[in-house]
Amino acid sequence: MTVDGISPGRIVSPESLDELSGLIASEKGAIVPVGAGTHLEFGNPLQSADCVVSLARLNRITTYNPAELTIHVEAGVTLDQIQQALSANNQTLPLDPWNGGSATIGGIAAANAQGPLRATGSIRDWIIGMTVVHVDGKRSKTGGRVVKNVTGYDLAKLYTGSLGSLAIIAEISFKLRPRFEKTATAIARFGSVADAVAALSGVRKGTLQPIACEFVGPEHEIWLRFGEHPRAVEMQLAQLPSASWKVHEGAEEVAAWERLRAAYAAMGPIVLRVVGKPTDVPGIIDAYDPESWIAHGMNGIVLMALGDVQSAEAVRRKFPAIVERAPREIRKRLGVFGVEGSVKRLMLDMKRTYDPERRLNPGRHIDGE
Amino acid sequence: MHTEVIRKLQEIMGKDGVVADETQLLVYECDALSVFKHRPDAVVFARNAKQVSEVIKVANQYSIPFLPRGSGTGLSGGAMAAEGGIIIEMQRMNKILSIDVENRTAVVQPGVVNLHITQATAPLGLYYAPDPSSQMACSIGGNVAENAGGPHCLKYGMTTNHILEIEAVLPDGEIIRLGNSAGEAVGLDLLGAVVGSEGTFAIVTEIVVRLLPKPPGVKTLLAAFHSVEACSQTVSDVISAGIMPAALEFMDDKAIEAVEASVYKAGYPRDARAALLIEVDGFREGLEETSDAIVEICRKNQAYEVRVAKNDQERAQLWLGRKGAFGAMGRISPDMVVMDAVIPRTQLPGVLTEIYRIADRYGLAVANVFHAGDGNLHPLILFDSRRQEQVDKILDMGGDIMKVCVAAGGALSGEHGIGIEKKEFMDLVFNDVDLDVMMQVKNVFNPRGLLNPSKIFPTRRSCTEIGKGSTTNTEEIGKRVEAVLLRGNGDR
Repeated sequence: MTVDGISPGRIVSPESLDELSGLIASEKGAIVPVGAGTHLEFGNPLQSADCVVSLARLNRITTYNPAELTIHVEAGVTLDQIQQALSANNQTLPLDPWNGGSATIGGIAAANAQGPLRATGSIRDWIIGMTVVHVDGKRSKTGGRVVKNVTGYDLAKLYTGSLGSLAIIAEISFKLRPRFEKTATAIARFGSVADAVAALSGVRKGTLQPIACEFVGPEHEIWLRFGEHPRAVEMQLAQLPSASWKVHEGAEEVAAWERLRAAYAAMGPIVLRVVGKPTDVPGIIDAYDPESWIAHGMNGIVLMALGDVQSAEAVRRKFPAIVERAPREIRKRLGVFGVEGSVKRLMLDMKRTYDPERRLNPGRHIDGE
Repeated sequence: MHTEVIRKLQEIMGKDGVVADETQLLVYECDALSVFKHRPDAVVFARNAKQVSEVIKVANQYSIPFLPRGSGTGLSGGAMAAEGGIIIEMQRMNKILSIDVENRTAVVQPGVVNLHITQATAPLGLYYAPDPSSQMACSIGGNVAENAGGPHCLKYGMTTNHILEIEAVLPDGEIIRLGNSAGEAVGLDLLGAVVGSEGTFAIVTEIVVRLLPKPPGVKTLLAAFHSVEACSQTVSDVISAGIMPAALEFMDDKAIEAVEASVYKAGYPRDARAALLIEVDGFREGLEETSDAIVEICRKNQAYEVRVAKNDQERAQLWLGRKGAFGAMGRISPDMVVMDAVIPRTQLPGVLTEIYRIADRYGLAVANVFHAGDGNLHPLILFDSRRQEQVDKILDMGGDIMKVCVAAGGALSGEHGIGIEKKEFMDLVFNDVDLDVMMQVKNVFNPRGLLNPSKIFPTRRSCTEIGKGSTTNTEEIGKRVEAVLLRGNGDR
């Protein structure tokens, strides 16, 4: 196996938190945590990997009490495994990362991996506590196991999306929600960007509350997903902006989203995650003319495929943009996060504080740290 | 404070922007946790981020502690000048700068009162979700610092889930922006770390909040029970049934007695041992069924009366008592202590029984009014501060209640923060490594420790803060924390 093109010196697979801590404490080289390996090419290029630490065998659901509406899991548990446990009690963790539910929950958190389901927030909004293993093998926790908690600093926010560069996520506690009683997805194709965004604008200014809202190009399709009491779903479907909508439910709905997932996977060679306002979306698409795109209609985040580095640099001059996916050399040249100034200084200070010798996932962090 | 410092502050702020008169400073010696007091050496009234930055630079030059203050409604002493120094008052920065209807955001200054955001956006069909009980007075900047909660957090989340972007001044005076229009972390989520850092990482000077569309339908009901156990079992049963209420609030007989004797009289059943105020909201379609399902769960748990509000007026009436409950306590007790522990919600019956048992053991009354849906307890210890033998018991009694909550798998604070009030209890939930890591992160933002010192961390630890300035008052405050631990007054 290789991780981001690097062949590891050795691979270890601890089966308990104590074993994980012990292994990290005794390792003196570069440590690379991995889960199911679905996001290994995300982040700045990895520079070395003396020891790859697989968390795949830390795969226990430690506590799940349905009446509590919380779950506590080890980092190597997959999202599918969690959803399976929850579905028996009509509960859900409302996450659907583009790379699928076979990803480990620790990996999804470390990469801050997201998907179309954004109306209920992203993974940061569902985490209530974490245990992490530091580069010296010590363990610390932040948050707790209760759904509402301001006891101490909320360091889980820092670990989420840190790509394992500050500490290794070992356990996570989540709050949950009841499963959407009914879901349905309406898809319509429009003639132009202008027509499609006019419809989107109507949705944002109106009473509909989609749980996913994607504007997909170059097909100019709008995907609206609703999840509510069955009658509230029906009511919203009846109030869609005028277009020839096709409504998908049940297995057909699942299959539709799998098609969009496949479309996401096929995007390239450079995919940017551009952060604009919802009303910026048409301007972003017109200005940079991506080959394909998936734009979140409700929060203004646009995933777009670009052919060359110059276009990506042009986007960066106007909007914050993360390199979602690109070959190593391009990620190296662009820098995955493009953060500058004093915010960058704070992030680098944070890295030095947690990992002064640059041994945790070296290269992944801001500025290749 | 040295006259040279005062002169420099006046140069930045203008003469009417600085208070250094000892009598006038008395107003600023505490926030709503009035038992912990320490007078600042000066208060400045900021009008913009640049002034905040310049004041901070002066404070750094002379190694003087400084801290922000909004409306002073905090219940953990976050806005108290524990080591003296300069309070940077934010109430003059009280403008809603813009409202963006289509993108559902508002840009506000930190001194804006929480409720004013909802009032300004309501005609546009939008609102700001987090609703601390002090929302008529508390500032949004303070909400960001404390990661404030409120009854509707159960369904809609805390402050941290509704802040997209901030402008803030770092403790070295540098002005930065964190977050962006989507609240999307680009690199590390520093915004997420700053929200809830209790004013120890940075001073927030502008905030972009997320607005939500007003729910088209809302149902509010009150259920009365003859036993605490049945009442708290109902809470678990509602959650287990897959219902996510917008609010699920608990009141016991003492709380009902106080409310009904006060101006907040809401017509609650006076013979109830405990009652629940339950609200569900969302689309009208299906709401009736959800409400019916809740009524059935209440009945199954022997609720002897279930009242569903028929209109907005009845709904407001039901909320009046709950929102005024803390204020109403004065009707039945001269003084009280507000606690803010949080427990796993299934532990409610056992923990409540234990709290009443502890109160009996100490011979003091306790009232319970709290956010049951998310397990956020607010035991109110009722006492008379003129009776020393009662005062003497409060420390141990509060400590015992806190320990029961932690032992049940809970935490010290659900929404009020640790501040000065609960810092000595941090060891109950965090070990040395946990606290070391938190301290390290604090030092990244606040390396000299001048911003809001002596908060959150246990006293023995704050003496060793890296590169810290004066520690003269730390020990004294520590002793007072131990001496009068939980006495205070709340407005929630």
